[in-house]
Amino acid sequence: MRNIVLVLLVLAIGACSDTELMSMQQLSSGAKLYETHCGNCHQADGSGLAMLIPPLKHSDYLQEHFYQLPCIIKKGMEGEIKVNGQSYHQKMPGNEKLTEKEISDICLFVLQKFPERPITIGSDSIEKALKTCVSNSY
Amino acid sequence: MRNFVILFGLFLLTSCTENKRLPILGERSTESKTVNGETTVDTIYATVPTFVLLNQDGDTVTDKTVEGKIYVVDFFFTSCPTICPVMKKEMLRVYQKIKGDASFVLLSHTIDPDFDSIPLLKDYATRLGSDGKQWQFLTGEREAIYELAEKGYYATAMPDSTEPGGYVHSGGFILVDTQKRVRGIYNGTDAKEVDQLIEDMYVLKAEKP
Repeated sequence: MRNIVLVLLVLAIGACSDTELMSMQQLSSGAKLYETHCGNCHQADGSGLAMLIPPLKHSDYLQEHFYQLPCIIKKGMEGEIKVNGQSYHQKMPGNEKLTEKEISDICLFVLQKFPERPITIGSDSIEKALKTCVSNSY
Repeated sequence: MRNFVILFGLFLLTSCTENKRLPILGERSTESKTVNGETTVDTIYATVPTFVLLNQDGDTVTDKTVEGKIYVVDFFFTSCPTICPVMKKEMLRVYQKIKGDASFVLLSHTIDPDFDSIPLLKDYATRLGSDGKQWQFLTGEREAIYELAEKGYYATAMPDSTEPGGYVHSGGFILVDTQKRVRGIYNGTDAKEVDQLIEDMYVLKAEKP
């Protein structure tokens, strides 16, 4: 019996490719970073706060601007935006101290968890977004 | 049958806690009075000092505004990205619970009055869903707010294990009774403690003076 369990376990590990295992690690790291750096305002479930802080969950804005997400995390955001028909203008502070890897993990987590259908973003897009990132004033 | 006895016992136990009395916080002193040769000793409890502040509509709010009310205060600033949004989410929960019950008032004080102008507070309050009456957003002289926080509401004395060195804006929700005595301090970022606060607000309401 124990042998069967072992075999199954080996199979299960083998079934995950390296990239999958990597993204699992990134997701759990992203979840922790989200809790620390984003969750206070956007809330753990991504629902935001009343009309003050926009939701990430099922947000049409995130859906349309997901490629800007790395830069928004880094530089913050200022000015008025519309999310799911509601306008928001609370200033979002930047997170300049986060590394590219950390921002990348947060993006992966946010885009997996909150859109109606998960969005995949490549590491090259994140790198590019961060390189060209200046500020986000509207 | 045995189950019934156990249930009844449990019922008795829980009904005892209904009569719980909240402590009165702060320093106290005694005062002796002699009337007709008989000396009586009264306990004098600490009370919130008088204050004059402005709300989100620019109206003056003083200690008289909350006369005879059970009220809850907190300290925040609108641009705070750390614990304030969590506190506001929790205070919103308190507000939704007590909305329409004239016994209760909520007062949120900005600790950044230079930045948090009256129009900004108004926008913040409206966007949170406050009617601006039962839940008011107050500003005033920075020093006056800090002193009120510290001396009136013990906001600096709030033990907070999650925020090392957390000082005036320590995340506390302070519960004050109809006689301006502080009756409890709760961690406004902890949903369980805020549940306790809501429960205690009704304990105070049921309390006979």
